[in-house]
Amino acid sequence: MREKVILETQNLSKQFGGFVAVEKVNYKLFEGETAGIIGPNGAGKSTFFNLLTGLFPPTEGKILFFNQDITSTQAEHRVELGLVRTFQLVSVFDSLSVIDNLILAVTRFSPIFTNKFRFFFRDAHIKNITERAKEALNRVGLADKSHILTSELSYGDKRKLEIAMALALNPKVLLLDEPFAGLSDVEIKELLNLLHKVKKSLTLIIIEHKISRIVDLVTRLSVMHEGRIIAEGNPKDVLCNETVRRVYWGGESCSVDGITDSSDRRRRP
Amino acid sequence: MIDTIAYGLTIGGILYIISIGLSLTFGTMRIVNFAHALVYTVGAYVLVASLSLFNGHFIAASVVAVLAVIPLAYLIERYVIRRLYGESIDYAIIATYAVLLIGVDAIKWIWGAIPIPLSDPVGKAWNILGVELPLYRIIIIALSICVFFILELFFKYTIVGKIVVAGLEDKEAVRSLGIKVDRYFSLVFVIGSCLAALGGVLYAPITTVHPYMGFQVLLLCFAVVLVGGLGSMRGTFLSAFALGMVMAVTGRFWGPAAETMVFVVMAIVLIFKPIEV
Repeated sequence: MREKVILETQNLSKQFGGFVAVEKVNYKLFEGETAGIIGPNGAGKSTFFNLLTGLFPPTEGKILFFNQDITSTQAEHRVELGLVRTFQLVSVFDSLSVIDNLILAVTRFSPIFTNKFRFFFRDAHIKNITERAKEALNRVGLADKSHILTSELSYGDKRKLEIAMALALNPKVLLLDEPFAGLSDVEIKELLNLLHKVKKSLTLIIIEHKISRIVDLVTRLSVMHEGRIIAEGNPKDVLCNETVRRVYWGGESCSVDGITDSSDRRRRP
Repeated sequence: MIDTIAYGLTIGGILYIISIGLSLTFGTMRIVNFAHALVYTVGAYVLVASLSLFNGHFIAASVVAVLAVIPLAYLIERYVIRRLYGESIDYAIIATYAVLLIGVDAIKWIWGAIPIPLSDPVGKAWNILGVELPLYRIIIIALSICVFFILELFFKYTIVGKIVVAGLEDKEAVRSLGIKVDRYFSLVFVIGSCLAALGGVLYAPITTVHPYMGFQVLLLCFAVVLVGGLGSMRGTFLSAFALGMVMAVTGRFWGPAAETMVFVVMAIVLIFKPIEV
């Protein structure tokens, strides 16, 4: 299960002016696993994702995806290769209807995209695309809301829509940037159920700062701190790792709840 | 009264046709494009040149003028605008203003600096409630409304349109769907430029064709775009007609204040509705 590395970074770094956001990260992702990355705000997690997905170039280092060097590959092309992400602040298109959001995601991979003439006219009504879009909506339970304007969805539904769009892109690796942020407890539970289903068919990386939410979901956990990965491994071992406790939480307990609490305490003024 | 309204709507229609490209370029690429005024001027000059070629056939000459700016727009987009992505907004202003200045000098070199008057291509007039209105102006008003609805349909019912609408909201999110959004922005840029040329063509018979005609209209169009909301297509439509009416009505009472009044209105709007950049 664990042998095949599908995504790897070598000495990956990113500087913004004098600020080092990501520093010499050597990360490996194995096929089929569900990896978690935790760390407080500002630890460099999102920057790391932005580097992986090509939203901006690294200052230094390399990214390999299925042994192919994608360090300077355009963001759009990485999606085509199967590296798909969601954003910390949910990024769906408010001025389009729910189904249109999905159509944008689905069209990319339909033959119509290459057919110039149909591409311009009324392709939204072509059966195949709409059906695939509906199927994707079904998967997240939004089928009955397909024709309302996206701006009218609740934040939780928007998050579901974003994940439906990401799944519709047929990713090999899906990167979720704090997918639980801003959701209610009920919505978090729904999303967890969805992710438990999804993780069977693809490789996932999830960024989170509340560890308790993902500890049962992930098979491997990495801890980021000041741009570096300071610990990695089985979630429960990582939480009890001495460096993590000392450098990161300063906590005594290594139970999941204990760490959630202390990390929350840290964030209070 | 009726002729004032008709004049306001005519100016509004032309301002709309020119401004839409400016607004879209700002909305999609976050670039303030002064070179838009050059494309507008070139449109008018190509019209003049092709009118003599087609023995005064206005429609044929207009089509040529609108299509002729495509390569120019492509070059401006490819070699100036695209290099300014993500740069600070003042670089874009300086670079596109430079393009405008170079272009205007090129026009003077090719066609000379003497204003060229054009005659009304339709020549007929309609009698509405006892007022003689040139048919040409009514055609302009109708045409601008057509452009509005065609664009509405384009953005609502085509995939390209939807991609651009999504890109106006969040460019990075569109890229994250694997869509090469810049390509669609370029297309929008070219469409906007063709419309600017159409504006130049339509306005030419009403004023005169001269190398600096772009400067005059550019500031008015910026006012339209700012009042309408940057990147808002419907807002641009409404504000173009509103400011066109402001010009017409002010001009009726005191000619010299017509254009100034547009900026007074713009200032008032900006005080109550600050722009979000």
